[in-house]
Amino acid sequence: MPSTTATTRRALLRTGAAGALAATVPASPRAQGPARGEPLRVGVMTDLSGPFAGAGSQPLFWGAEVAIELFNERGGVDGRPVQAVTADSQSKADVAINEAERLLGQEGLEVVTGIYSSAHAVPLSGRFEQARKIMWITSAISTAVLKDRNLRYVFRPTVHSDQYGEASVSFIHEHAQSKLGTPPERVRLAAIYEDGPYGTGVAAAIEANAKARNMPLVLKEGYSASAPDLSTLVTKLRRERPDVILHTGYNPDITLFLRQAKAGGLRFKALIGHGAGYAQIDRLTEAFGNDVNYVYNVDPVGTQMLDWSKLGPGVGDLAKVFVERYQAKHRVRDLPAHASMGFNNTWIFLEHVLKPAVRKTGGMSAEALREAALAVDIPVGGTIQGYGVKFAAPGTPMSGQNERAFPVVMQFENARGRVVWPTAIASAPPVLPLPPSSPYAARS
Amino acid sequence: MDPFLLEALVNGVLLGGVFALPVLGLNLVFGVVDVIWLCYAELVMVGMYAVWFLYTQAGWPLPLAFAACLPFVAALGVLLHVLVVRPLLRAPPINQVLATGGVLFVLQGVATLVFSTDFRSLGVEMPPMEVGEVFVSGTKLAAFLAALAGAAALWAFLKFTYVGTAIRAIARDREVMPLMGVDPRRIYLITSAVGGTLAGFAACLLVVQLDVHPFVGLSFGPITFMICVMGGLGNMLGGFLAAFLMGLIVSVGGFWWNTEMSYVVAFVFFIAVMFLRPQGLFAR
Repeated sequence: MPSTTATTRRALLRTGAAGALAATVPASPRAQGPARGEPLRVGVMTDLSGPFAGAGSQPLFWGAEVAIELFNERGGVDGRPVQAVTADSQSKADVAINEAERLLGQEGLEVVTGIYSSAHAVPLSGRFEQARKIMWITSAISTAVLKDRNLRYVFRPTVHSDQYGEASVSFIHEHAQSKLGTPPERVRLAAIYEDGPYGTGVAAAIEANAKARNMPLVLKEGYSASAPDLSTLVTKLRRERPDVILHTGYNPDITLFLRQAKAGGLRFKALIGHGAGYAQIDRLTEAFGNDVNYVYNVDPVGTQMLDWSKLGPGVGDLAKVFVERYQAKHRVRDLPAHASMGFNNTWIFLEHVLKPAVRKTGGMSAEALREAALAVDIPVGGTIQGYGVKFAAPGTPMSGQNERAFPVVMQFENARGRVVWPTAIASAPPVLPLPPSSPYAARS
Repeated sequence: MDPFLLEALVNGVLLGGVFALPVLGLNLVFGVVDVIWLCYAELVMVGMYAVWFLYTQAGWPLPLAFAACLPFVAALGVLLHVLVVRPLLRAPPINQVLATGGVLFVLQGVATLVFSTDFRSLGVEMPPMEVGEVFVSGTKLAAFLAALAGAAALWAFLKFTYVGTAIRAIARDREVMPLMGVDPRRIYLITSAVGGTLAGFAACLLVVQLDVHPFVGLSFGPITFMICVMGGLGNMLGGFLAAFLMGLIVSVGGFWWNTEMSYVVAFVFFIAVMFLRPQGLFAR
């Protein structure tokens, strides 16, 4: 019975996704004319149901959807449109594996893009490597997906978890004295995290970076993202009195923590999230109103926070079209970072890997795509999220990882984000510590 | 006493209150109808959506939304019995489990299609109580007291009403009682309505503590089943006590070790109980 239900749901989602994509192909040709030739089939696997959907995977898919739509409108690859073959991994690793088998086996695809969760990416990467098909990760960040595995068919244009820990700890280290009036060595940090590869990876990076900077980590504790209660964790945090809480979670756990932290009288000077649920600021604001003002999030930057005039030629225009179209379709005030990630990392694949591979070989074999991916060389400022693209070569510790990707630290106020770190590209100074208006603000 | 340990103990008791209501509902249905509603947590989820919709979208006052939730989920319980359970009453237990498991996926799928995968929140909270260094969530305390009141009302219903007596009689011997004039079909229907009402009541208490999303049942559904089995399936008092025991294990275990380990301890304890008392911890 479950398999029947899954098939029905999958069919529904596939029909819906195909309908949405078909509906967006314009009836009349535009400047360059829409693509109409033999389609190039590309897998797009995200979590469209289950808890991950509301924690960023849905906007990740929508971003990819806009990228494919725009790419086709601009002529695809010499008139050949890209056809998305969608799969819903349902926030379950076993479903992700089964769907990958379907995409590779029954659908005969050479490449699958997407993959929201690191818990899915870790087992899937081995399968793609074995099958010698391309896995193009647009979101899953765990460093462990690639580190020391010398994978040759798995590529990740986005950042990895070690960079998250480095960013948040560096940010606090840089501002400790000037903003908190405390030497960095006396700022008490606490790392709490969901216990999958994503949270564990970020927490390990936080611990390593705190140790390297001689900053005390007073509590490091994981929990299951589906835990029904986190009040004991709140109690322990109150006991340890951290100045800064570094949190890595999805969504039900983040809102549960924030709610129970407030009810449990937890106070701190800063709360730094690390992607996923913290990137869904519209949702957090809906649930908590102004209580989530001045919360930070570490992630690849949402493109709307960048000065587009400083990006490479044509990149700012692309970003503008994307943001306008996404906002019109999904009626959001501030795009979640995952929307930019979905669009940007899919666009990088379509424009800089698929197009040259098809032009060179006339087809899109995994080998041709792999060769094209390894040849990508985009300078910083060359993508709508500001970073460049150059993949670590086979034989190196992070083979397949984009070496030019970097995260930023964003701070939210009234559901709008702004970049506060790295300081060189910050659009505003951080509000640090939390002002007294915050219910979480530490009492002096 | 360490005030933080005391706070963890209080949290454990309050958490037990959260678990207790769905455990009572599930045990009641199993004890009487002899069918496990695998989709019980999803009925709670539907009730949570009902409250959320009536309060935030339709603009109903919260007490009215709560009041409407109870008969709504009760009606769902009756529908579940009439459409799914009753035709399978004489089928092998695995068929019943698979059928109610199928309803679980249907309810999750329908909720996804209707409400999307977004997380919905009532945005309602009560101020915390601060006693010395111990913080107690006002919302959780209110939910705990309401859960106790609900359990007491259920006990009074079963103990002092004619229908309640019939329900208990059927639970004790469903073969003999029809010979004594009790109509089991009617009692099953009433029990399903009461089980649904308890799911609706649990929904009212949970919707102020958790965000609603189509998969919220995963947060408390599996542990609810575990508590039922640990207390003795069909044993109302056993399930009720086991809920508090589980709340304390999770909370104090999390305090002494860590949050992950607390669930390991809880599961090890559960497995040990299954080895030593497979009929349940409080079974007579």
